[in-house]
Amino acid sequence: MSAVLPRHRVNVLTGTKSARLIEDPAEYAELIKKAKRPLLVVGPLLLETSPEGKLLLEYALDLARAGGIPICATAQTRGKIVELGVQPDCLYDAVEIVNALKDPDWQGVKKEGNHDLVMFCGIRSDLGSQGLSTLKHFARHLKTMTLCKHYFPHATYSLPNFKKDSEWYEFLESLIANLKKGD
Amino acid sequence: MAVAEKKLSKKLEEIHERIRAAVPWEPLGPTPMPDIPDLRSWDMRLLKTYKPFYAPFCDLCCLCTFGKCDLTAGKRGACGIDIATQQARMVLLACLMGCSAHAAHGAHILEHLIEKHGADKKIDLGGSIEIEAPHIRTVLGLKPETLGDLQIAIDYVFKEVGHLLDSCHTGQEGAALDYESKALHAGMLDHVGMEAADIAQIVGFGYPTSVADTPLVDMGWGAIDKSKPTILVSGHNPATSTELIDYLREHNLEDKVEVAGVCCTALETTRYSDRAKIVGPLSRQLFFMRAGIADVIMTDEQCIRTDTPQEAAKTGSAVIACLDKAMYGLEDATDMDTGEIVRRMVDDGEQFAILDSKKAAEVAVKVAMELAPKRKKEWLTEAEAVELAKKCNNCGICEQVCPNLCRMGDGITELAKGNFEPIRVLFNECIGCGKCEQECPRHVPIFRLMQVAAGNETWKARAGRGPIMDTEIRTVGAPITLGTIPGVIAIVGCSNFPDIEDIADMVDEFAKRKYIVVLSGCSAMVAGMKKDADGKTVYEKYPGDFEGGGVVNVGSCVANSHITGAAIKIANIFAALPLRGNYEVMADYVLNRVGAVGVAWGAYSQKAASIGAGCNRLGIPVVMGPHASKYRRLYLSRKEEDDWRVMDARKKEIVDTGEPSPEHLAYVCETKEKAMPMIAKLCIRKNDTPQGRAIKLNHYISLHKKYIGGGLPEDLHLFVRRDPDIPLVYKKEVRAHLQEIGWQPREPVGLPTFIGTYPSKVSVDAVIH
Repeated sequence: MSAVLPRHRVNVLTGTKSARLIEDPAEYAELIKKAKRPLLVVGPLLLETSPEGKLLLEYALDLARAGGIPICATAQTRGKIVELGVQPDCLYDAVEIVNALKDPDWQGVKKEGNHDLVMFCGIRSDLGSQGLSTLKHFARHLKTMTLCKHYFPHATYSLPNFKKDSEWYEFLESLIANLKKGD
Repeated sequence: MAVAEKKLSKKLEEIHERIRAAVPWEPLGPTPMPDIPDLRSWDMRLLKTYKPFYAPFCDLCCLCTFGKCDLTAGKRGACGIDIATQQARMVLLACLMGCSAHAAHGAHILEHLIEKHGADKKIDLGGSIEIEAPHIRTVLGLKPETLGDLQIAIDYVFKEVGHLLDSCHTGQEGAALDYESKALHAGMLDHVGMEAADIAQIVGFGYPTSVADTPLVDMGWGAIDKSKPTILVSGHNPATSTELIDYLREHNLEDKVEVAGVCCTALETTRYSDRAKIVGPLSRQLFFMRAGIADVIMTDEQCIRTDTPQEAAKTGSAVIACLDKAMYGLEDATDMDTGEIVRRMVDDGEQFAILDSKKAAEVAVKVAMELAPKRKKEWLTEAEAVELAKKCNNCGICEQVCPNLCRMGDGITELAKGNFEPIRVLFNECIGCGKCEQECPRHVPIFRLMQVAAGNETWKARAGRGPIMDTEIRTVGAPITLGTIPGVIAIVGCSNFPDIEDIADMVDEFAKRKYIVVLSGCSAMVAGMKKDADGKTVYEKYPGDFEGGGVVNVGSCVANSHITGAAIKIANIFAALPLRGNYEVMADYVLNRVGAVGVAWGAYSQKAASIGAGCNRLGIPVVMGPHASKYRRLYLSRKEEDDWRVMDARKKEIVDTGEPSPEHLAYVCETKEKAMPMIAKLCIRKNDTPQGRAIKLNHYISLHKKYIGGGLPEDLHLFVRRDPDIPLVYKKEVRAHLQEIGWQPREPVGLPTFIGTYPSKVSVDAVIH
């Protein structure tokens, strides 16, 4: 969904090309399932735990498992992922993976061609937003999706601003369940 | 053709005259006083490997009346510009602002000091410094001998800045790479301007020089005796604060009036008087103003809050704007009678601009002494803070508007329960912008609450020492270039930190590993704002020498030039390569052989952008904190997918090393944990001896294991040339890993250089020492 454009665009345009906001986990799951070569990029904010004591990273790992999606570990997430018994498919920091993704000829983490859908979760919003802007402008060969609890306008698809963390957890659980349905 | 040659030689003639080329202190290289195109080939070679990475801050260009123009989806603006070129143009503009700020600072200081001492005042930086101005010598080809000579450098910078700014006009440059080359040019000029400014200050104010063990000065507002009249100096330019100290000394008032500084003026003032106090970095400016401790606030230039008059008025602090860069709409009282100014400030609460620094100093002292007894400097009690905190319902607006994403509401909610610890943690993360309090729907006085958290803690910082001594360079030149001192880590710049304590952690981590740690600006202050279990700051724990394990505060922002200057000195003094008008050879040496890394963890300003660009053109990679992604541009490589060919100058052969060292030139890390191994990795150079490489890889592996975990670094194989490169401690593990992935040994390069791999006036022989 683009921002609403005024009639006289050159003179008064102030908006940006904005992300399509999706609130339905089933619709999100369908978009992921449609992707031929998706990638999940996980950041260090996922090293926090929910009030119930669940490590947020576990949501990401469950999602990757459910969708058969390769994982890119950024910053210091690698150690915890390995601790949880999973070997990430690649290790890049946030700007490095974005730099690789914007090259249409990059062969991706599986060496099968660049990814067509890249999901981001757990990267701080200023850096995440700038990385998404890079991909919006320079990587028109792929689509981006965010799984964080706030809206990211530079993405192709984004979740809304959840008022409560519990709503976000519910969304992620439902998304994982929907992905499993396709098994 | 003949006419063109004649013109060129006339231009060179003029340059030769200005730099006294006939004086044979060194042979003159190919690029004295370079214009925009003169180092373009070098820039393009750098940008071939370290390609610009753009993260547009906005989809639009809003700079002219053709637009606004939407630059998304490959669209060009009405002038024809595309989104990449527009980003590069904005980067150049930022670098020009930064470069201008330092050069104008230098110009003002020079004018002030030439008025005081005369243009013939000799430059003497003490017995241990002969190469007094490595940047001016390298870039201009001039060996400056007097304050008047420094003016030649400033004039050159201003001329180039004019041309570069011109290129930003609508309908000029049309290629992102050329804007990048221009930004690198601006960065190089910035280091010239900074160097001229700081040499002038050292010579004119008698700052410490040729000494490592400078005094430890008091830091933190707990160090300020609030019972005394207090004057806060804020900004970067010490013309006024030094006059202030002089006035207090001349009138025997040093014991009766407190002088405290925030941001770089604090560092400058403590270089002049170790009795002055450092409040802290820029992030503590608004806190301190709202605390109302200062009876008089004197502003000069750069990184001073633009709402200083309004904030000061809230607590009854007087304000004097001392420089034309920021006059706040105040009445110019420069020519007004001193007694009249004092009366109107004390009796009527008026604020003035006073551009005569001597007069401003006199007024400040008189006003402070009259105002102080009339003002109440009340500190919020813990009980009052708890009551005020109860107004907060943790709605989350403060977090939404916080540039550093701080959850202030969580801390205040806990404070309301009597738990002070969370707000203390948040105080260290706060960048001091005040947006949270501005937006709070319940008008919770968040800054006053955090004052309680800040308490009265005091710390120590080592006063800035200025240039690295030639004698030190002679000692460390070999171990740095061979790799046995694993690197020089320059932690510089502003206070837009994810967490203020990150800096002390980084300093401690690398100093204890025997890297040379160099600091400047706000980073130099906050390095001292954490104590270890024994109650010591890093300045008390480590020596101030430029040696492995040393922690060196060079001084304020303009002293950054001494850090990059030290890298040039290694090439010139240790490697005996001539520097005069020989920028490419110096930069090539630094890039390929000097394991130096800049860390601008809290970079926020345009000055930081230009300082970083200057480091990059000189071949020094810079690691920045996450906020720096908002600068819009990085210089990144793609590891083994990029061009890592160099010339082996001894064999005169181009060699494909496959080794990404240094891997990036301008890089953003999301967390301190990621930055630690990245900094160590960026110290790796192709010139490392096996022993040096093993030491560097030992730190890279160990930091990776400590902060990232999950095994060995995934790219380790790219940096192991032969078995002796493998650190002893990890020999078994690394050998097994290399065998598993099918690693093959390769020969190290004897004398790696970029010269000879791109079109240049410089011959390969020029890099052989």
